[in-house]
This record gives sequence, structure tokens and C-alpha cells, in this order.
Amino acid sequence: MSTVTQVGRALALLGALWASVAGAESVHRFALVAGNDEGGDGTRPLRYARDDARKMHDLLERLGGVADDDMRLLLDVGTPDFLAALGELEARARAAKARGERTALLVYYSGHAKDGALRLGNTGLPFETLKRRLADATTDIRIAILDSCRSGALTRTKGARKAPAFDIDSGVAREARGVVILTSSAADEDSQESDALGGSYFSHHLASGLLGDADRSGDGQVTLFEAYSHAYARTVADTADSSAGPQHPTFSYDLAGNGDLVLTDLRANAEGLLVPVLAPAGQYYFVTPGGRVVAELEKSQDQERRVALAPGTYRVKRRLTDRLRIGEVEVRRGRTTVLEETRLRDAPFSDDPVKGALALRGAWWSLGLAGGYQSFFDATTRQSLFLSVPLVGFEAELHDYFRRDWVWGVDVALGGKQAVLTLPTLSGPPYRYSMVNLGTSLIAEWPWERVVPFVGGRLAYLMMRRDFSDAAMPDQHFNMLSPGLVGGVRWQLTPRLNITTRGRAHYLQYNVDAQRSLGYWELAALVTYQP
Amino acid sequence: MRTLAPALLCLFAAACGGDFSNEDLEFLNALPQREDLAARLPSSKEVTGNGTETRKDALGLQLLGDLSELAGDTFKQGTQFNQSVDALLTLLEAIRSRQPTVREPHRRVWGPFSDKDRRGNDVRFVMERDADAFTYSLQYRPSGTGDDQWWTFLPGRFQANGGIRKGEGSVALDLKEARAHGFLLRDMALMDRLDIGYQTKALPTRVELAFTAVGRTQPGTRYTYRSVPNGPGEMVFRLADTDLVPGGLRETLDLTSRWAPDGRGMVSVDIVEGDAKGAKYTECWDISAHTTFIQRNWDWFNPPEGDPKSCPDFSELNP
Repeated sequence: MSTVTQVGRALALLGALWASVAGAESVHRFALVAGNDEGGDGTRPLRYARDDARKMHDLLERLGGVADDDMRLLLDVGTPDFLAALGELEARARAAKARGERTALLVYYSGHAKDGALRLGNTGLPFETLKRRLADATTDIRIAILDSCRSGALTRTKGARKAPAFDIDSGVAREARGVVILTSSAADEDSQESDALGGSYFSHHLASGLLGDADRSGDGQVTLFEAYSHAYARTVADTADSSAGPQHPTFSYDLAGNGDLVLTDLRANAEGLLVPVLAPAGQYYFVTPGGRVVAELEKSQDQERRVALAPGTYRVKRRLTDRLRIGEVEVRRGRTTVLEETRLRDAPFSDDPVKGALALRGAWWSLGLAGGYQSFFDATTRQSLFLSVPLVGFEAELHDYFRRDWVWGVDVALGGKQAVLTLPTLSGPPYRYSMVNLGTSLIAEWPWERVVPFVGGRLAYLMMRRDFSDAAMPDQHFNMLSPGLVGGVRWQLTPRLNITTRGRAHYLQYNVDAQRSLGYWELAALVTYQP
Repeated sequence: MRTLAPALLCLFAAACGGDFSNEDLEFLNALPQREDLAARLPSSKEVTGNGTETRKDALGLQLLGDLSELAGDTFKQGTQFNQSVDALLTLLEAIRSRQPTVREPHRRVWGPFSDKDRRGNDVRFVMERDADAFTYSLQYRPSGTGDDQWWTFLPGRFQANGGIRKGEGSVALDLKEARAHGFLLRDMALMDRLDIGYQTKALPTRVELAFTAVGRTQPGTRYTYRSVPNGPGEMVFRLADTDLVPGGLRETLDLTSRWAPDGRGMVSVDIVEGDAKGAKYTECWDISAHTTFIQRNWDWFNPPEGDPKSCPDFSELNP
């Protein structure tokens, strides 16, 4: 029996596991989704592991039949938290099983792996421990999807295969039991990330496949077989010419039973995009306003395809030999949008909406103009010492230099106003209060389509002075370093133009009249441009 | 990059601090300034006149339309008045130009500094505050001695009234104490003490100078200056031991000299002691210091000369 045939049988058995999972409502699904950019000592931070986890979490919730209460999303947590969440889900699954329900547990992990263990930050989880944990679980069906370097070491046992597509046996489902493990790379390979895709190759193609690209049968459901074979083929193809060499996903199984294994139901909530039969054949890309490819679709002649995009606005790209066809579509909640070819237009390759070209540059700068307001919390201070003033400023930010979604910024702002001094024994002298605010900040962003919330720390150097028009009054100044926190939201209007609203809270030590701890806040709106 | 950031932090840290202080401003507001104590004198050059040597003639023989000798006297006395407070104001201005050395609750200290003009001595300026009341003193001590050796050369106080240097205060120069500590005071060798009292909380503002001569316990000479900002000014002073008219007694004169911002003026001379006791002389002058009105109360045969309406209106000085 050839290897391919063996694999086909194995996957047929494996498919039996999930047949009841997606096809029969009697199967209660649980999912643990984890992503960790950090791998501890000896590793370089990943850029997209957390994003991959978020995408998988959303996809399983929306299309995978996993209730929100039955799913845990863990970002940048260590092994103890990971195992605790796994134990909690196992307990819930045992309780469901005790009620007579069939159960399924899916574990997805994106992050580092090294020396035979998953690396969750500075903590490790040996492959063998995870395998034993899955093997010992009482859940009927256990699926592990591991997107990490050398994760193929986990499947280097019984049933492990580094294999392309295989045949499917869509026989009648029996009540299958067992463990399936998918890994993104072989035991001696690195798992690669792509700035153009905004994620790892494997997770991107797995997710794209689960959204519809892998639905070869056209039945509106994506099985594990379909998803894996799609992710395998696309991952190998995309990484074939990479400097790290081709990356081969693997799988292993330990199953009893047969049938098909449905991971996602594309018609679960009726929303998505339909590419009709009459639409031209070709490779379609669906791109967020931020320039990230969320799904791909390969359409052949005389075939209708569906991609279960989440509600939102997308740019659609189809690549021809000499140009692009691009357009915009909106997917509304609970509704299927039909892609009309007439809504696409010809465009040169330079107008490619995929942000990859920009992202591939690595770090990038943005420049901004700000208008805002500064005020001290203490009423007496803001009335007679450091006044509340409007601000105008200029800022420059370096994105993705230290690590992805980290922004280092420098800023300068000026403020001032005319005022009249009012003190217990002295009132009446007019003066000009002015303030220069120099700052540097380091913030972390969490891009979410067009909206990017952020928080961080900032160190400012404040230079405040007041100049009296009465020569008898000495002009005064005060300079001080001021640490603080910053947070806000950035809205991406266009790929290069953003509007940001931001708040800051700072501490200031005043030490002239007396030692006083003061605090002030700033609110600002910015327009930033990415050259 | 790794060394630049700490270097910048150190640079910023070194540049932290300043003098942004509300209390400093209130302390400085309690010190008198030149415009508070100095007399604003008539602006006309003509008023310099010939001085008091001709006063005898001025009272008896001053002719209408002549240059007013008393206008010259007024300017001269005003100049002397300003010279008397000048040294004190110079000291205070030196203090104002520096930041306090010590800032404590309700207290500021400038110094101690080594006094370059009086080698071997330290000098400091201390201000204290109790609500709206401020006291201050310029103190000296021999260099190298303890805190108990400070002695006060210039004491002062100020009761603030809320506005810009609005209030009531006094300041003095204790020349006798200075002389006792070995200070040579060439310009003030004949004085033991100069007291200055002033009030700026209501118009007209008032400054009083009282000079206590060496060996005396009470001031022998007083000057009072009153003024309205951008309005008229007034100087009142007493001249004792003046031989104004023939006879066995010497006269004591009370002079009240007033001037308008445009240079016109009026002087009244009351002889309060001496052979001509009871005599009163009034004279007005125009912007070129020429007399426009003369009145002598002892001249029963001649009526007042000139037009009394030519005399400026000084009602602002009599609220």
C-alpha cells in the first residue's frame, strides 16, 4: 500500500471524528487557542503569533461551532496558565460527556518551539507532556494544531506523515474517537512568517482554507482533510523559494472510527461573499482596509465559490498577467454579498492594495500634527501656577523597529496664554504663560482592522515660564522631567493617513516653593501621515 | 544610541528646576521700588533756578513774570529727597535681581555673601511673612562668626493690601549701628538714622522721610512727598534756623510745594517761628517756571498780583 493511500485512509478515519462535530449538533466543541510572540532566551520575538491566534479564535467562534464560553484565547501567557486553561476546558468537556454528550477538544498554538518543547515565553511545555495530556483526555475527539518551528517533532511517532493531499473516504460516520495532531513544519524545519500575509504561512493558509478556499467539494463545509491539504499545498508552494527553504506541514493520528471531519460550516450564519459561476476564473485575494490579506480563493471556470468573510469592507484583488483587477465589497452581517465583476476595475501593479509591499520594508516612520489641551489635576495649581493651556505639536513615530506593533515616538508641543496673576497678597500683574513639552514614548499597539488601540509609557521634559510685562516682576521658569502613561486609538483613514485621539497622564515633581507631587493630563487629536 | 540616552537623561536632569514660585513674587512685592519712594519732580528745565540763596529776595521782591526762585527750590529739595532714598533703593534692587538662596515656608534668605565693599563682613537679606505682613532686614556680621553675630543695618516691614506693591510699609537705615560696627559712612556722617514710611494702598500715595542727626533721639528734619500717578505731586518740608527777615530771631519755615504734570506749580511758605511768625507767601508759576500769581498776607497795601486762576488745580491731593 502506498504512503498516499495510507494517509488517505488515516485521514478518512480522522474525518470521521469531526463528522459528528460539525455535522451533528450533538457534539459539544471546546477550543483552547494560544499565541505567544515570545519564546524566551535564545529566540527572537515573532511578529504574528498572537495575530494568528486571534484570527483562529474568531474563525472558530464564527464558523466552527464553538460557543464563547467553551473557548479560551490566551495571548503571551506561560505554560502554567496554558495548562490551567486546558484543564478547565477538559473539566467542562468531562461534565458534558457525563451528561451524555459527545465532545471534541481543539488546541491551537502559534508560537515558538525549541528543543522538543513549546516555548511559551520563558516557560516550556514538552511535546511529550502535551501529547500525553491529549492522549489521556476523556474527550471523544482531540485535535491539536501547532504552528511553531520544528513542531513536526511532535508527530514523529505513530501515524506521522509529511504529506500532500490525500483521498477522502466520506463514508457514513461512526462514533469516532482519537487524537489528531497537525503541525506547521517538519521536525527539522522552521515555521515562517510573512509580513505580506500578516501571519505565518501555515496559519494563514489554514485560516483562508477554513474560510472557504479549501472547500473543494463545494458543499459549504470545510473538513479537516480539506483544510490540511490546502494549507499543506499552499504553505509548501509559498515557502519553496524562501531563504529558509520549503516548509512542510505534518500530521499524525490515533483514531478509531471513520467519516468526514468538518471544521467550519461556511453557511453557519449566512454571511460572506459569493463569487458566482460567471465570475472570471483566477486567484482572488480579499484584503482588509489595513492592507492585510485575510483570505484567498482559487476559482475555476463554471464553479461557484463562497468565502465566509466576517462583516466589513474588503478590497478584492484578482491578478492578471499584465494588470490587476481591484474593487471594493462590503459584507453585511447575516447577508451574502455577491461579487460583481463590473465592480472591479483595471489597475496597475503599483496600485496593489496589499500592504505587504510596505510591511516588507520592516520599520516605518510616520509624521503627525497634534492639537490638544493640558491641565493639572490640582485646581490651585492650574489657576495660579501652571495654567491650563491649549497645545499644538509635531510628532514623529518609528513603527515596528524594536518589535512589531511597538512604536517609539518623539514629540514636541507648545502652549501658552495671557493671564493675570492672582495671589493672596498680590493680584493684577499681567503675564504670558508658556510651555514647551518635549517627549519620547514607547507604546504597544493592537491593530484591529482600521482601528488601532494603544497604550504605553512616556517621558517628557517640560519647560514652563512666565514673562511679566511689569519689569518689577522677575520672569520665572521651571524645567522638569515628567514620566507618564499614554493611551488612545488610531483610526486608519487610508493606508497612509491616520487620525488619532490620545490621552496622557503625567507625574510632575515641583520643588521650588516646596516639594509637591503634581499630576496633569493631556488630551489631543492628531493627524499622522506615513510617507 | 546606548550612551546617548543616559547622556540625554543626565543633561535633562541637570537642567531640572527653576525659580517658578508664587511665594517669591509675594515676597518681592513686599519690597518698595524706586517708583514707590522716589519723588517725580517737575519736568521743566527752567525750575532749576538759582537756589535758596535768594529766598529772602524771593519772598519780598519776587516780581510777577520773573523766573520763580521757589520753583527752583522745589526741584532742588526733590532732588535731595531722591538722593536720600537712592542708596537704600540701590540695596533693595540688588536683592531683587537675585534669586533667594534659601526658600522656607514663610521665609526667604538671600545670602550670606561676602561683602565686597566692606571686606571682612558677610551680608544677608532675610524676609519673613505672617499672613499679609512682611518683615525684612539687611544684616551683616564679621566673616567667620556665628549666627548670633548678625546685626541689622536696614530693617523694614510691609503690610500688603492685595495689589501690585499696594500697602503700607516702612524701611530705615540704622547708621548709628553701622558706625558702631566700624562702617565708614562718608555721605551720611552727620546722621544716626534715616526712617522712611510710605503708603501706596490709596491715592494720593505718601512717602515720609525723617532724618535723625547724630546725637539726637528724635528726627530733626522731615520731608513728606505725596503724589497721584500721572497727576500732581507735593513736597512738604520744614526749614529751621533761617534768617529770613531782620530781627533778633531766626525763622522756621514750613514749605508746601506742589506741581502739576505739565510743569506748572505752586508753593506756600508759612513762617511758623521767628521774627516774621504768621507771615504766609503763596506763588504760582507756569510751565516755564515764570511766576503767574503772587500773594503776600503781610502786604496790606498791594492786592495779590496776577491771576489766581493760573494756579493749577491740586484737588486730587486733597481727597
